[in-house]
Amino acid sequence: MNTCEKVRMQLSMLLYGELSFDEEEVVDAHLESCAECRTALDRERELHAAFDQAEIESPASVLWESRQNLQRQIAAEHVPAHRVSWWDQFLDARWLQSAGALALLSIGFFGARLAPNLGLGITGMSLVDPGAQRVRSVEPGPNGGVQIVLDETRQRTVSGDLDDQNIRVLLLSAAKDPSDPGLRYETVGILNDRAQAAEVRDTLIYALEHDENAGVRLKAMDGLRPFVQQPEVRKALSGVLLSDGNPGMRTQAIDLLTKGVGESSNGLDRDVIGTLQELMNRENNAYVRQRGERVLQLVNASQETY
Amino acid sequence: MAQKTGLQTDEKALIRAAQAGDQDAFSQLVRAYDQSVLRLAMNLLRSPEDAQDVYQEAFLRVYRNLNSFRFDCSFHTWLYRIVTNLCLDHMRKRKVRKEESSQVEGSDGPVDRMDTLQESRAEGDPARSLLTGELRERIDKALSELTARERMVFELRHYQGLRLRNIGEILGTTEEAAKNCLFRATQKMRVALGDFV
Repeated sequence: MNTCEKVRMQLSMLLYGELSFDEEEVVDAHLESCAECRTALDRERELHAAFDQAEIESPASVLWESRQNLQRQIAAEHVPAHRVSWWDQFLDARWLQSAGALALLSIGFFGARLAPNLGLGITGMSLVDPGAQRVRSVEPGPNGGVQIVLDETRQRTVSGDLDDQNIRVLLLSAAKDPSDPGLRYETVGILNDRAQAAEVRDTLIYALEHDENAGVRLKAMDGLRPFVQQPEVRKALSGVLLSDGNPGMRTQAIDLLTKGVGESSNGLDRDVIGTLQELMNRENNAYVRQRGERVLQLVNASQETY
Repeated sequence: MAQKTGLQTDEKALIRAAQAGDQDAFSQLVRAYDQSVLRLAMNLLRSPEDAQDVYQEAFLRVYRNLNSFRFDCSFHTWLYRIVTNLCLDHMRKRKVRKEESSQVEGSDGPVDRMDTLQESRAEGDPARSLLTGELRERIDKALSELTARERMVFELRHYQGLRLRNIGEILGTTEEAAKNCLFRATQKMRVALGDFV
């Protein structure tokens, strides 16, 4: 086996960073002097990039279903006496974190539950079930008392109209819950029905621009579809075109920004043309490029940046 | 580095709390890992039903056996041993069933179950639905022709980004054996896709 053959067998491990120091030295030295092996390395990179595209992203809804199924199985298997199950707390934590609703309760040292026989009241809420709460911190309070900060983890069901401000606040918060893409997906889907409200639209734009899950981003884009003529929505869609890592999202953004172009006398504003031209400079995905090129041809614009 | 040590310390504290019956700590452990567990199972098994089965069984086993966890390895390694064993079992059973296809017969001809799921549930990852045609078919076919262990090592290294040393630890083998396995997997993939990419 000659040196080229030996080096080519190690190119994949080189890209994975799994060669020893000495092995990498030999490969690097050879690559500097061998154009054919450098070409082979480029092909290996392309192969790895193709593998990347075959990865399946778990839909957020499957995660959500899995969690719910696990909850049921755990609950069926083991329900501790006098304690809220960890799965209830699991859901509580999610719900409460989403709502930003950690209940901070200031209580007197001799709380009614802690020392019921003394008959002294407490300031704040009563401790109905200590198992559903957790002491986060304690510190001396005035008049010899103490201040205890509790995280309340009780599950609570809140229902109401989407236009109810309290419900709205919870939903807007849940749509940004970093820990649970399933929750964000469901929430964004519900909020889509109220996208005419500016605060909801802002949240959808935030999801479109920042959510790490493509399913959530796509859902947010659906909700913004009727408002595509609004400047802030167009700006967000332009951002998707240039920075979203998901080619499907970029394709959808092209379709929305250029809807109706080519039909009758519809044109395209200069900003979108500029964005598309910039996209052409950086787009690697053949399908997205094709879509962009087609639009630019329709409006007789060049493929290059002005 | 300090941050990593901090995270490890936090996780140790969480595990100890969960072992002592703190259910909130257990829920935090689940949430820390369940997305990557589901992603691993989904990619390996290409079936949402099987992936969900693995998810359920893995975390139930963790729940039942957490008290036997003695910190001989990281929690991540322990959990992934459970998950990879479950996935390998599924993959081997499937081999016995003559490579069950992820395609089912629909009213308009063959339909990929992954596509059906994504369209019906979350409108899926648009990237996948766009990655149609020959390349995707070739990659899927090449992946399906790897042995279960090759497929596992390839998945853990390429998609999960784990180091071979860690992969060896998870699969109960040496780093060198994991490297050989990855080498065979990439060789086969290169041969299968070489004229296409």
